[in-house]
Amino acid sequence: MKYFRTLLGKDIRLMRSGRFFLVSLGFLILYTLYVNFGYVRFMDTQIYNVYLYDPAGTQERTSALVRRVSSKEAFDRALYQDANSVGINAAAGDIQIVLYGGTEKADRHRADYALSLLQPAAPYTAGDVGLYTPEEKARREITCELLFFEISAVGFLGIAAVLFKEKGMGVIRVHAVLPLQENLFLLSKLILFLLSDLVFAVLLTILNLGVSAAMPILPAILFQTALLSLIMALTGLVCALLLKDFRQFTLVYLLIAIFAATPVFLSANTAVKLDWIGLHPFYHIYMGLKNAYFGISASSPFYYLGIASMIAVLYAGVHQLFRREMGKEAA
Amino acid sequence: MIEVKDLTFSYGKDKKALHGLNFTVEDGEIFGFLGPNGSGKSTTQKILTGILKGHGGKVSLFGQDIASVHNREFFQKIGVLFEFPYLYSNLSAVDNLRYFSAFYPKEQLRDIGEVLEKLEFKSDFIKKPVSSYSKGMRQRASMARALISNPRLLFLDEPTSGLDPSGAVLFRRIIEEERRKGTTVFLTTHNMLDADLLCDRVAFLSSGEIVALDTPGNLKEKNSNRHIRIDYLYQGKREEKVIDIHELEAGMSFLHDEIISIHSQEPTLEDMFIQYTGRGLS
Repeated sequence: MKYFRTLLGKDIRLMRSGRFFLVSLGFLILYTLYVNFGYVRFMDTQIYNVYLYDPAGTQERTSALVRRVSSKEAFDRALYQDANSVGINAAAGDIQIVLYGGTEKADRHRADYALSLLQPAAPYTAGDVGLYTPEEKARREITCELLFFEISAVGFLGIAAVLFKEKGMGVIRVHAVLPLQENLFLLSKLILFLLSDLVFAVLLTILNLGVSAAMPILPAILFQTALLSLIMALTGLVCALLLKDFRQFTLVYLLIAIFAATPVFLSANTAVKLDWIGLHPFYHIYMGLKNAYFGISASSPFYYLGIASMIAVLYAGVHQLFRREMGKEAA
Repeated sequence: MIEVKDLTFSYGKDKKALHGLNFTVEDGEIFGFLGPNGSGKSTTQKILTGILKGHGGKVSLFGQDIASVHNREFFQKIGVLFEFPYLYSNLSAVDNLRYFSAFYPKEQLRDIGEVLEKLEFKSDFIKKPVSSYSKGMRQRASMARALISNPRLLFLDEPTSGLDPSGAVLFRRIIEEERRKGTTVFLTTHNMLDADLLCDRVAFLSSGEIVALDTPGNLKEKNSNRHIRIDYLYQGKREEKVIDIHELEAGMSFLHDEIISIHSQEPTLEDMFIQYTGRGLS
């Protein structure tokens, strides 16, 4: 235990000298400001304005959301100034949709929405699905995404940077001749980064969801965070031990960011459908975290078995590479 | 202290690094292990310090087979100075020593201040980060790291590298002191002066084989042509004569007015190394 404390103290000093804690704090503030003053407000913006030019008064029972304009000039001016809006020109008797073109799907959606406002009494009502208000839902989604990004991209860089530093100083080789179990050297780093990620997860969740909303889901979030943190920390260690320098690492980092994280975000948050995404391990981890944010605990035993195997294989790899690094030019 | 019999080691199938080394190192001895780069010095030292596994032959340290000896207790008894001063550059010398010494039992540790003082470490730098040190200062801090645990067996790799002449003299004095205390020293070096002045015995290693092993004095003596060179003045002119050492016993048989200097023509340790291995050290 005494040895472990010593190693932990050394790692904390290394992280402090590399300004790791400061960078994490900076990201925490940045994410919180983004969620509270950017994302939530953006998600709360009004849907498209709809302008109606109907000099003959053919459309009598329109929704209150429709803005009537009195002249063709006013109609054109409104569309010119509000490029996101949709215009309905009923001057010729039939209805013409006028809008600035975007993507085909979005344009159809905008047109359908505008037309739906001409029949406000249509026999349908939207039902609420789930327990959360749109803002609560948005906060949970974005907090989950930011936490996933922080751990899989930023924290991963942190642990690799610390190990590259020690590798560069040659001190890993000194540990080969110390009365110390090499596992402790690795465990101290893993536990420190795990704790740091868990603290980050707690703060980010509380700051963006509020204490009362965060408390019931925190245990599940921390559990999923711990799994992701261990996998990413071990991946960072593998890269740092395998690659020659930090420059090489940045290339690998880009590859991991592009090929590992991007498909997950695209598949989980956009209309992009990737048939093979079920085979992507990070997709399941991301969904595990997302489920935790929405209070769903539906992950199968295979998921946990897969994660445990992944951690065990990565740890065995790190251990082998660490022994190899200790042997390099030492003694 | 160290007993090595038929030691072999290969990196992969076709890359044999050691071809059956045999040597012993006695308690309290300074044993020099000399060889050019790639001769197998580092491989041998890595096997002895437990970093490399999978060797052939028999190696015993502290009277025990190496396979059973590489545990915490073993590492508490050895100190290793690497060729390069591996230290945490963000920490000071004192913090480095505090960190590394934390892995040893308290009762075997030396006082950090005393060790640094012995190594004539500049006091203004004691609390400054290692990144601000000169090469010589880093080497001193590294030596302090190797000595701090009061080891019974000390592995030193190029101990005087990066030191100015007075630093090299100081390091040799400290190594001598260690020997007087009973510490066994396994010294790997390219520096012939260090080997000559410090080592009780030296082994010349070439392409994974020991090609000579003896005391530096014996090695030189065995291969000496027993000639001496005399510089003298005769009738106002400076002259030089090379004679056999036995001629001296009969006195100076040649005409001279004044002897200026007498030089032994004994070969240097480096000459011996080249003779035995056919290669220079560097």
